[in-house]
Amino acid sequence: MAKVNIKIDGHPIEVEKGSFILEAAKALGISIPTLCYYPHMTPYAACRICAVEIRDGKGWSKIVTACNYPVWDGMEVLTTTPRVLNARRVNLEMLMSQCAPVPVLQELAREFGIDKPRWGTGEDTCILCGLCVRICDEVVGAHALAFSDRGIHRRVATPFDDTSSDCILCGACASVCPTGHITMEDIDQRTVIHRDLTLGPNAAISLPFRQAVPNVPRIDPQRCIHFTTGGCGICSQVCPKECIHYDDVDTFEEIEAGAVIVATGFDNFDPTPLKQYGYGRYANVITAEEFERMNNAAGPTGGHVVLENGQEPRSIAIIHCVGSRDENHHSYCSRVCCMYALKFAHLVKEKTNAEVYQLYIDLRSFGKGYEEFYQRILDEGVNVIRGRGAEVIPSGNRRKDEGPLLVQCEDTLIGRFREIPVDMVILCTALEARRDAKETGRKFNISVGADGWFIEAHPKLAPVSTSTDGIFLAGTCQGAKDIPDTVAQGGAAAAQAMKLLCLGEVLLDAAYAEIDETYCSGCRLCNDLCAYSALEFDEAKKVSRINPALCKACGTCVAACPAGAITGRHFTDDQIYAQIEGMLT
Amino acid sequence: MNATRLASPSALEDFRAQLIKHRQEEKTTITVCSGTGCLACGCEKVSAAMHEALVASHLDTVVELKRTGCHGFCERGPLVVIHPQGIFYQRVKPGDAKLIVDQTIKAGQTVHRLLYTDPQTKQTIMHEADIPFYKKQMRLIFGKNGHMDPTSINDYIALGGYAQVVKALAMKPEEIIQEIIDSGLRGRGGGGYPTGKKWATCRKAKGSPKYVICNADEGDPGAFMDRSLLEGNPHSVIEGMVIGAYAIGSNEGYVYVRNEYPLAVKNLLFAIEAAGELGLLGENILGSGFDFHLVVSRGGGAFVCGESTALMASLEGKTGEPRAKYIHTVESGLWEKPSNLNNVETWANVPVIIEMGAKAYADIGTTNSKGTKVFALTGKVNNTGLVEVPMGITLREILYDIGGGVKGNRNFKAVQTGGPSGGTLIVETSERKIHDSLVAHGDLREDEEALSLLDLPIDFDELTKAGSMMGSGGMIVMDEDSCMVDVAKYFLNFLQEESCGKCLPCREGIRKMLAILTRITDGQGQISDLEELENLSQVIIDTSLCQLGGSAPNPVLSTIRYFRQEYLAHILEKRCPAGLCKALVSHAITENCTGCHACLKSCPTGAIVGTPKQLYSIIQDKCIQCGACYQICQYDAIRRVKRGEGEAIQQRARDLWKPAAKPEPVAAK
Repeated sequence: MAKVNIKIDGHPIEVEKGSFILEAAKALGISIPTLCYYPHMTPYAACRICAVEIRDGKGWSKIVTACNYPVWDGMEVLTTTPRVLNARRVNLEMLMSQCAPVPVLQELAREFGIDKPRWGTGEDTCILCGLCVRICDEVVGAHALAFSDRGIHRRVATPFDDTSSDCILCGACASVCPTGHITMEDIDQRTVIHRDLTLGPNAAISLPFRQAVPNVPRIDPQRCIHFTTGGCGICSQVCPKECIHYDDVDTFEEIEAGAVIVATGFDNFDPTPLKQYGYGRYANVITAEEFERMNNAAGPTGGHVVLENGQEPRSIAIIHCVGSRDENHHSYCSRVCCMYALKFAHLVKEKTNAEVYQLYIDLRSFGKGYEEFYQRILDEGVNVIRGRGAEVIPSGNRRKDEGPLLVQCEDTLIGRFREIPVDMVILCTALEARRDAKETGRKFNISVGADGWFIEAHPKLAPVSTSTDGIFLAGTCQGAKDIPDTVAQGGAAAAQAMKLLCLGEVLLDAAYAEIDETYCSGCRLCNDLCAYSALEFDEAKKVSRINPALCKACGTCVAACPAGAITGRHFTDDQIYAQIEGMLT
Repeated sequence: MNATRLASPSALEDFRAQLIKHRQEEKTTITVCSGTGCLACGCEKVSAAMHEALVASHLDTVVELKRTGCHGFCERGPLVVIHPQGIFYQRVKPGDAKLIVDQTIKAGQTVHRLLYTDPQTKQTIMHEADIPFYKKQMRLIFGKNGHMDPTSINDYIALGGYAQVVKALAMKPEEIIQEIIDSGLRGRGGGGYPTGKKWATCRKAKGSPKYVICNADEGDPGAFMDRSLLEGNPHSVIEGMVIGAYAIGSNEGYVYVRNEYPLAVKNLLFAIEAAGELGLLGENILGSGFDFHLVVSRGGGAFVCGESTALMASLEGKTGEPRAKYIHTVESGLWEKPSNLNNVETWANVPVIIEMGAKAYADIGTTNSKGTKVFALTGKVNNTGLVEVPMGITLREILYDIGGGVKGNRNFKAVQTGGPSGGTLIVETSERKIHDSLVAHGDLREDEEALSLLDLPIDFDELTKAGSMMGSGGMIVMDEDSCMVDVAKYFLNFLQEESCGKCLPCREGIRKMLAILTRITDGQGQISDLEELENLSQVIIDTSLCQLGGSAPNPVLSTIRYFRQEYLAHILEKRCPAGLCKALVSHAITENCTGCHACLKSCPTGAIVGTPKQLYSIIQDKCIQCGACYQICQYDAIRRVKRGEGEAIQQRARDLWKPAAKPEPVAAK
């Protein structure tokens, strides 16, 4: 790119041809005030506050806007002539006469020494800088905002002043607005509290979670404007190290490992099919996970327990065993719900004045200190009702001080049917096996039980091992369990894996199956039969191979091989016959 | 008579020869002007009546009835000209049709009543060309208007149309551009940028495709020459654009025309289709291998869309807002491609230059302004209408010789040129009959009396030097009943409404200036207001994004320059010399009153009381200063005086009043 020489306030500088005065001034550290300029958008030159005087050194001079005037060789720029200062000042005062004294204008006024604008101040908070319109157009690409009307009636509006369906709720306009004229609520009255209460953050760029390793941000393509509209790209422009690569894709990495710990966790049961609880229909019926998110100080409500309308609830019902201990869904007990339900009650009591009702089948506070915690909850005045929540219905024309939701249940201790009016219902949903557990099981050759949990090698003697050597289980993928149990099992699995790794080598049993490659036809019948993933196929030689470290010498493949190419070491036909013979003689 | 696609220049010439031959055999033609002015005066009914009269006399096959484009003399419409004799009838009513057919067509006599009478010599004039209104004009652009039906391409070809395309296609593009440069043609849209230079830059500009655009977004109040050209002779614009496109190396053109000009749009579309059918537009024009497609795009009526970058934004389908022109549109315009934008009148000049040759064209006009300019002469002048005059003509010639002098028994005061962006020029101060109150209050200084721009030669540079501009050619004539502060206020109000609002100085600055002017006309002005107006003007001129804002202070600056005393009268004495600013004026009935009670009937608030043939008087509290009585009084009995002095004058009138024997009307206003 060609360079040109210009002078700003007497300071010479060499800049790229076609660049703008403002950029050159910035490089020199000369400040020029701006209102409608934003580094990552095409200069708009609407506010005219960045006016400067240019001269050609031959007596010609002109006032131009620094933000969008391209430099040319020999140009002299003056930023503080009386003509420039008067122009900036008058323009600023004219703007102030229409606009409320927002901080950005006050700051500029202070810079110009304007104590009292000569035409006073107005009431509008919009300074018509067009940043919002342009960011929506140029950067976001949603085109949801535009200027409406003209002249003194000009204003920023959505098409036909209606809720714009093009708006993607990205909030770019609000974030770029220098005066705070645009707020998210103003554009759209939807209050985003109970929707999208995911465990992850809502921004398109975020750290996966706190203390994540490696602790680097990532882009969520579902939320990223660049991925959804093709616009934006601000992050790549602001990143000084050029770390943003939009064309990065997921890759598959092959890792050679001596041991594998499967800790794939659980899925939350979706309570929508349980129509009686009205999840998804009533705004204030939420799952335990969503309540947990609400309690998070970094969550969408800032840690406050609130209803969807933003008010504090007066009464909350917590329904246990949603999806668990239910023969229609999961017959097992999820093990964690009782205790977290008690914790919820404690938190609600701590944060609000709400009444709390626990509706349980059996309260299983089996761990260390758990029973004491249960007693404490009772002391705090939580209503504990033995009886499964039957149905949640709208209460209709109830009294005003009562909640709009009615929870029906049978209190089995007093033998009565009860209806409890509440503001909020929390569903303690079941823990269930991950929906892709079967597939994962196949991959690692781990058996999957009827409920979808992985089956350990032995429930008592080998609770973290699997039928495949070197593959271990940890956490809820093996069955519902709480955090202490998970940590303990994780520790056990790690120890098991470490044992293998520290040894550095595998002691082989003398007895294992062997393939005579001369006779193997490559039919791969044996591959599918092996229960221990000991057989693999050599694509190059078109023969099957046996990994002696994995082989348990069960003999299935030996018996199955149509070519008789597999022999079991120490259990050859001759040896077996000899043994039989020996026994008979 | 129809022709198929003309495949070569000789085919066009053959077709033309045929047309002319056919026409020579032809009979008497009655032409009825169907320009917008005459349309408003009811020419459609005249035309229909004429047709009926011809049918009734069984002459409809022998005599041709033709509706033509604008003749320019809109003041006298509807106009009817009978060819080949060239008899010019004006202000023809539908009822006159039978008379014309009976007397002129059948008997060969003229109808004297319908002929134009020169107000000065009181003589009737039979031929159009002999009328003073036309005598001083040089109708290079508008000449063909009166002779052709705008919807007939055959008419245009018979008059020599599209011959210049043939001539141009035989030239090299550079030769054409040189010809335009040599002719000294400057953009007629207002800026006055040399057209040839613009073309040359656009031809050299990198980028493809290139566009040629015709700016027909005529927005100045009172200007309608572009409209009349597109309505009356759209082919001349198309011909100019074909030549321009060939010279620049463009194959695509746009005409951006206001949707408020339905007839212009209709005639233009008709013309484009007709030219396309004959192979004068579209692919392979006249077998030359040159393609040119023309598209009509209709604007939504925003004044700012006449600005080149706003126009291009609007063409692209975006909001019509200007952008900074630090990169010229000839290099990066429409869709960021090189785009050459010229005004309607400029394009219409192109075939004229090719036909005349650059040298002959350059002989017309002044050193730096060549050729002719069409002005829309309006206001307090006897002959209003479109006038095409050579550059360098003086204001005096336009106002007196062509315009026929001031209307009524008043005096010229000022001429406003260039539309809202232009300025108001003082004229005739030395000669005007100074209003009583003006003298009494010492409004006029010695040196100001001598100042008159009546002999100002009209061209781009002289007008700019005088504080106004050529603009698109609006020329509004004002007499002494016009208040200059009010005029400035009117234009600023227009600009405030039409500013796009993108840049701050234009949006807020005009509002501020208008507020100050309103304050002045409301009698709240301070002497510091003048200084503040000038300071604001400087900032607005310096920092506005486009020329709408950049020229917006002109109406104020020029009136302050020439009529400072009038501003001072408003500010210091709280008095409007023209008696127009309602807050500063009172109406009073003087001893001239004859008791005719015409004023009483006109008063909307019942403020006038009295008995017939006695002195009337105005109840000051009830009067809303509408001026209806002032307009209607034939005896100069009603005065506009300084606010609050009305009752004193009426009191004096009561003392002086005597019943008149038989009053003579003094003047019609």
